[in-house]
Amino acid sequence: MEQDVQLVQQCLQGDGSAWEELVRRHNRRIFNICYRFTGNRTEAEDLSQDVFLRVYRTLASYRAIHGGFATWMTSVTRNLLIDHYRRTKRDRATDSLDDAMPVVENKESTARRPDEQALLGELSSQVQSALTKLSPELREAVILRDLQQLEYGEIQRVLAVPEGTVKSRINRGRIELARILQQMGVRPS
Amino acid sequence: MNWTCEETELRLSDYLDGILTATEKHEFDAHVNACERCTPFVSSVTHALSSLRSLPQIETPPRFVYNILDKTLGPRETITGWAAIRAWFRGFNPQRLAYGGVSFCAMFLVFASFTGFNWKKPRIADLSPANVYRGADRQAHLVYARGTKFVSDLRVVYEIQSRLQRSEELPGTPDSTTPQPSPDKNPGSTDGSAPASPKQQNRANDLASHFVVLAAACPSCWEGRTR
Repeated sequence: MEQDVQLVQQCLQGDGSAWEELVRRHNRRIFNICYRFTGNRTEAEDLSQDVFLRVYRTLASYRAIHGGFATWMTSVTRNLLIDHYRRTKRDRATDSLDDAMPVVENKESTARRPDEQALLGELSSQVQSALTKLSPELREAVILRDLQQLEYGEIQRVLAVPEGTVKSRINRGRIELARILQQMGVRPS
Repeated sequence: MNWTCEETELRLSDYLDGILTATEKHEFDAHVNACERCTPFVSSVTHALSSLRSLPQIETPPRFVYNILDKTLGPRETITGWAAIRAWFRGFNPQRLAYGGVSFCAMFLVFASFTGFNWKKPRIADLSPANVYRGADRQAHLVYARGTKFVSDLRVVYEIQSRLQRSEELPGTPDSTTPQPSPDKNPGSTDGSAPASPKQQNRANDLASHFVVLAAACPSCWEGRTR
């Protein structure tokens, strides 16, 4: 954490290698948050790049006293993800209408690529699919808690909501996820 | 205090995160074990959570970091020489690279040992395909011959052991099977009567003869025993 703060300071003084180090330290985590939220590699890649662009431009606004750099970066990521979700809401509504209609055309565009399928495995694929069916509020809470292993206090800072709300969202998110998985036929053995 | 289903549902995450007090945990368990609705409910959420936590970390796409750096810092200068090699290596995961290197070295050592590579006087010529093939062929034949000899020795030892065992299990003592001279006959003369029993006739197959066979078949074993 202290190393991050030091790198930020060096970065603000124009040290390109410090920025490169920051990118290397956080790129995988940010990409994974974006991927788990969107369930799509291409979107996750674009969004992660946007996150780093925004962080680079607003680096001067980071204050170490308000929390760790990782938490701050996660907040930026979360805000971009929510913006993206709102922006694409209309597209998804159209998609879901299309899904409801009897489809005879080629569904290649919505199918996962073979390498993605192999990468995830069947259960992982089902869990990822169930995750993307959660509402964005519950999804982000569950991702931060159970995939990123953030503490309740950190999640509270990222989501900017009271701790009680964080706990409630995590609880509801987990229960909802279990319900969706059961509907998909994934049951405890 | 007995918990209701609603309380159990509300505190489920606290239970899963292990932040319930001992008393609360006891109450939670007592309710879940007794409630027909909550038992499968808690089980399904626990399963969902473990499945979620077992999701693997996704690798970033190739050149992901460079794309970010290009967009933020601008296109970088082309680097050449050692710097380029160092940058190329930086793209690899060091742990995986080390693991791969160690695996390759171990495989090379095993392969070279098998082909009869002389570690004391290493020569480049020993690594030429023809020599490697010849060495591997020789080692394979040696291994095969040693294996065959080992199996053959085992078979001989087993046979001798079984013969010894069989002779020890034969009923009667040597005294009872020794033919007694007939008082009516002269020693050395035959009267055309029935010969001795086969067991008496085959007295040559006694322990001494087995040891002779053992010594002949497996001289090394015999020497080892007599020393």
